[in-house]
Amino acid sequence: MAVATLPIRIDHAACTECRMCYVVCREIDLNAVTIAPDPLHRFEIDTGRCLYPGCTVCLMYCPAPGSIVEAASGRSLVPPPPEVWTAERRVARRAS
Amino acid sequence: MIGAREREREPGATLAAELRALAEADARRTPMDALLEAAGRGELDEDRCFRLLGRLWTLKRTMYYVYGGWAMGLNVNEFPPSVAYLFGKQIYDDSTHEMQYVDEILRRGWAPTQRAAFRHPYCAFTPATRLAYFVFALRALTNYRQNIRIAALNLGAKVIELAWLERFGRDFPDARLRAIFAGQVPETRSHVLMGRLIVERCVASAIDAGLCRIDHGVVRQNYLFALDEIAAAVLGLAAPAGEVVIPKD
Repeated sequence: MAVATLPIRIDHAACTECRMCYVVCREIDLNAVTIAPDPLHRFEIDTGRCLYPGCTVCLMYCPAPGSIVEAASGRSLVPPPPEVWTAERRVARRAS
Repeated sequence: MIGAREREREPGATLAAELRALAEADARRTPMDALLEAAGRGELDEDRCFRLLGRLWTLKRTMYYVYGGWAMGLNVNEFPPSVAYLFGKQIYDDSTHEMQYVDEILRRGWAPTQRAAFRHPYCAFTPATRLAYFVFALRALTNYRQNIRIAALNLGAKVIELAWLERFGRDFPDARLRAIFAGQVPETRSHVLMGRLIVERCVASAIDAGLCRIDHGVVRQNYLFALDEIAAAVLGLAAPAGEVVIPKD
């Protein structure tokens, strides 16, 4: 069943580049967090792969408040707002 | 140029210049240049690009194994805090480069997941290879002091890596891969410079200098062998895993 997704992005002014989002996204085989090839090597979210709000795993692990935001509204998702903690918004690990 | 007074005050400065010059001589022409020339002739198709990134990713990610050992042998207060900080930065940078390679492999759909990429023959780590020999020999330097092993790696293999990365970042035909290679140049150059700093400041005794020279030669040779294996695997001159035949004697 297709699930509507909302684009989210990383706010580089708040991000510490600790890489937790990258690691956990890899761990569940979504691979939506990538590193830009430019010399700054900033982290980006590939909206084609990201399943937010179906998946919120990066929000749970991100330690830097305000570093992941909704692209349209700019609303901070770190720490995660209460509504993203619901059980139906958990994504199953993809079969490798 | 290093003056006589400077040399007397910092005997490591002469050594750093000597080691870097030796590696730069190696770097003028490396096995990777054959790949670049093949790419320029349009001979690197998708499959060969996958082989290239797969082997480079394998090389980069196995550096975790090396650095893990080195970090265990980095004793508190043996060197100024800057040495540990620079080492931390180097681990972070090499990790970034590793991630870039696998990102691109996934982005192009050559492997569906990182888990699958690990198992693919182009990306698999095989012990009996020159790549593995380079890594195992570096890991063996865990028993050496940080100044010596950084001299060997950062003023040896890293100097050679910087040279071919600069050429790939300038001339590789595929724009996305060219950007990845070019983006890694500043950090790799930083590793070479931090290697110079550590050798200048932290290598003072004749014994340490001698060990630096020996290990530097070994690391350079092993790295060039690994590059040779990578180039052969990409061009289809050897099996992707690059098995090495070990003589019975």
